[in-house]
Amino acid sequence: MTSREMMHRSEVAVSVELETPDMTLNIGPQHPATHGVLRLIAKIHGERIETVEPVIGYMHRGYEKLAEVRTYAQMTSLVNRIDWVSGFASEVPFILGVEKLMGVEAPERAQWIRLILTELFRISSHLVFMSSYPLELGASTPLMHVLREREFILELIEDVTGGRFHPNFSRVGGVKPAYGGGSQTKKQSMDLPAGFFKRTLEAMDRMDQIRDDIDTLVAGNELFKARTVDVGVIPADKAIEYGVSGPNLRASGVAYDLRKVDNYLPYDQVEFDVISRTSGDCYDRYVVRLDEIGESVKIIRQAVDIIPSGPLQAKVPRVLKVPRGQVYSRAENPKGEFGYYIVSEGGKMPYRLKIRSTSFSNLTILPWILEGQLIPDLVAILGSLDFVLGDVDR
Amino acid sequence: MSDKPDAALEADANPLADYVGDMAERLGAEGFAVDFDTARVFVAREKWVDTINEARKELPFFSWLSAIDWSRETEVGEGVAEPDELEERFEVMCRLSSVTDDKAIQFFATVPKDDPTIESLTGSIGGAEWHEREAHEMFGIMFEGNNNLVPLYLPDEFIGNPLLKSFPLIAREVKPWPGEVDVEGLVSDQDGDEEGDAS
Repeated sequence: MTSREMMHRSEVAVSVELETPDMTLNIGPQHPATHGVLRLIAKIHGERIETVEPVIGYMHRGYEKLAEVRTYAQMTSLVNRIDWVSGFASEVPFILGVEKLMGVEAPERAQWIRLILTELFRISSHLVFMSSYPLELGASTPLMHVLREREFILELIEDVTGGRFHPNFSRVGGVKPAYGGGSQTKKQSMDLPAGFFKRTLEAMDRMDQIRDDIDTLVAGNELFKARTVDVGVIPADKAIEYGVSGPNLRASGVAYDLRKVDNYLPYDQVEFDVISRTSGDCYDRYVVRLDEIGESVKIIRQAVDIIPSGPLQAKVPRVLKVPRGQVYSRAENPKGEFGYYIVSEGGKMPYRLKIRSTSFSNLTILPWILEGQLIPDLVAILGSLDFVLGDVDR
Repeated sequence: MSDKPDAALEADANPLADYVGDMAERLGAEGFAVDFDTARVFVAREKWVDTINEARKELPFFSWLSAIDWSRETEVGEGVAEPDELEERFEVMCRLSSVTDDKAIQFFATVPKDDPTIESLTGSIGGAEWHEREAHEMFGIMFEGNNNLVPLYLPDEFIGNPLLKSFPLIAREVKPWPGEVDVEGLVSDQDGDEEGDAS
């Protein structure tokens, strides 16, 4: 066959097979855009996604079973590791639930320390999103720039709790004696480290600065807007039906924040706004989180002013026996509603612990939202939901 | 049932209890309980989907769905407080909440162990699919109408339902607890008013 003939043949073949067949595209579980071990089986038609089937469970650790053979005190260190980007925020509802069952209330100072730490973790978690999301869209500058600033928050957290990611700091009835309290007397060494508030306020000034920087560099960037505005719109009713909560829900126009509604920590004594936007697209989900950093900064500044002195720990028995009862305890995690349903039969360990992890519920909407989208938008939409696979898989 | 308090006994000056009582009556529920700020409404298995759909008009937010295995004997952990009085059963639970205030109700339906089936919520709540898949693989409960009850977390070849009380936890079989170095064993097991952290 001459080369001319071959060319002719291939031309014929092309003209016959103009029809694009459906293709199955496997994304992950090892893929940089999937934030860990998420696998997506996408049926695509050209550049359009027809259906997506997420496959999860690669990191399933069986927390709910493990909880049944662990005492309440032992569980505290485990629940940190569900959503490791905001460990403390998943610790708080568990402790509050156990306290509710036992009829114990933490001293005021301990509650304020919990509040400050929760907000520090909220800023830290949002900063991870602020830096990694633009990277997924191709902007690599914010990653280093923003993660550097996050380091100031992590230093504060490390000073108090001794850990950067897993604080394991709450105790039933209070908080642990702070790790970095290097003062002379025993009483002082139980408390927050010296100069903590001063350094916190300094860090908050930096957060204001970085918030403004991100606002101009990323949120105001034409290319970023082109990738995110009107992409992956979640209408409010769909978000509610799928149990999508947190910033993802608030970006869809539902101003629902458990900090305002449940008042599980002294949030009623500080002034802050619930950030919400209306269009529910990827851009709004980004900006809601960006603005929430500003609100958290506001909360921490007020909390540092208000925080009373006093004991850190209420009196509780050394061996925790939790009276019979069932309680659902929830809190506003940086990613949304995080809750525990604790069934106690009066023993040292829960009879059943159901963990309502935020990212799991936020991810359930994925097949619905990705249907009919373009392949390049898949990464933009996936990233905008801000999930942690450890939180999905539990 | 032993842990279902009579609705009449619950009438106190608690606004949440008033709301839940009123709601339970309107929905034709079997009973309700409000303790620790957690509202529980018990519904018949046959009316599960209808009740939830009706309740969603007021409490639209689908928070989660799961189950409890009430079992007299357990392979893991501590058992129930009064095993003799316990009726062995599954309880399927679904939590709905408001998106404007703090109102929320947890719905419970009893599912017998010899016929562990209940109608699926996926017809009206898209978000229920994954939760039902999880409850299916963990407890072996069938959700009729959910056509995608394939394992969510567990590998395909996994045999058994891990969250059943009869399912042993291998880690605890291999290495019993408390172990030799566990401090918990050293502290006397009395409820003293001793101050200190409980670890």
